[in-house]
Amino acid sequence: MSYFETRLKIKSNNNSEIERKLSIYEEIGVKNIFLEFIESDNLLNFKRIRDLNLNSKMKIYYRLTLLPKNIDDLRKKLKKYRNLDGILAVESNDKKIRAFAAKDSRVDLISLSNIQMVKELTYGLISLTKGNNSFIEFSLSPILKSNRFEQSKYLRALYKAIQKILKLKGNYIFCGNFDNIYDFRHPRALASVCHTLLGMSLNSAKKGFRENVKLLLQRARNRRDELYFESGVRFIRKEDDNG
Amino acid sequence: MVKRERHRYILFKLIREEKIDIKPKAFLKEIWKTIWYYFGMKEANKIGLWLIELNLKENYGIVRCSHLSKEFIITALTLIKEISGERMTLSPIKTSGTIKAIKKIQEEIFKKKIN
Repeated sequence: MSYFETRLKIKSNNNSEIERKLSIYEEIGVKNIFLEFIESDNLLNFKRIRDLNLNSKMKIYYRLTLLPKNIDDLRKKLKKYRNLDGILAVESNDKKIRAFAAKDSRVDLISLSNIQMVKELTYGLISLTKGNNSFIEFSLSPILKSNRFEQSKYLRALYKAIQKILKLKGNYIFCGNFDNIYDFRHPRALASVCHTLLGMSLNSAKKGFRENVKLLLQRARNRRDELYFESGVRFIRKEDDNG
Repeated sequence: MVKRERHRYILFKLIREEKIDIKPKAFLKEIWKTIWYYFGMKEANKIGLWLIELNLKENYGIVRCSHLSKEFIITALTLIKEISGERMTLSPIKTSGTIKAIKKIQEEIFKKKIN
């Protein structure tokens, strides 16, 4: 099973910049990648880039990250993007918003990308995502920071969060989320970093880059399926039944 | 019975823009610095690191280490950001137990590139 890089930020509509980033990932040997759109880009933009024929051998998936200001804002945005053809993630510094998003079945992913968010991870949030079959995403980009003090602080916060999630057998994935092209790393190498520095087994680390990402994609597919009810339960149309 | 320590050969790619000449000594020094910084004496004494090949023309290298410390070497290669003042990415491609197999993989990968 191949590895997934689940977060490559797309900030501009510049195709050559996107293709350059993709070519670096291709050179590293990544086979599956998620292009991320920040919610300030509108849905039209998302569709425009999705329809582009990006010149890449990699399998490209899409995700949209919502950055809500408050709970009402999140409600409105979820209503707007509920039929989105891709992964729907929520990222917020406010823990109430994160808890609300974890309760909502339309949200596929709760993204934790800085030390504050990682520190505020609670057993409650893990349990809510587990109940909804959604996932918590940890960003590994602060690990490559040049500031050693910040780097070690982040490693400590991540270590504690991962011990919590492993204890509850929660749903988690890892992403690179790198901005600079020289920081791009293969997910297998990042799995080694998780294994050696974060005290998790190599299999658990690999799971965060492979199996769990597959489950996340399956979840997003089920969300768009009108006939899907819950795990193991799917409606059957009368015509299908007769046929 | 004590199990014999085995070798692992790690093939990695160098991704860089400037083509500054890097000495193998500087390269090894950077790997050791990273190992010392992140893992300390406890792991450093088990590593058995050896630089087999560093090809700066085709931008790849092969290192040998103990089979128990493979993950530490991959981590160290991943966490290196620059060597001799040049920014670069060291991306592990493949690991093997014999030098013959790793050479074969290296030839296949770089033959494909040339074609």
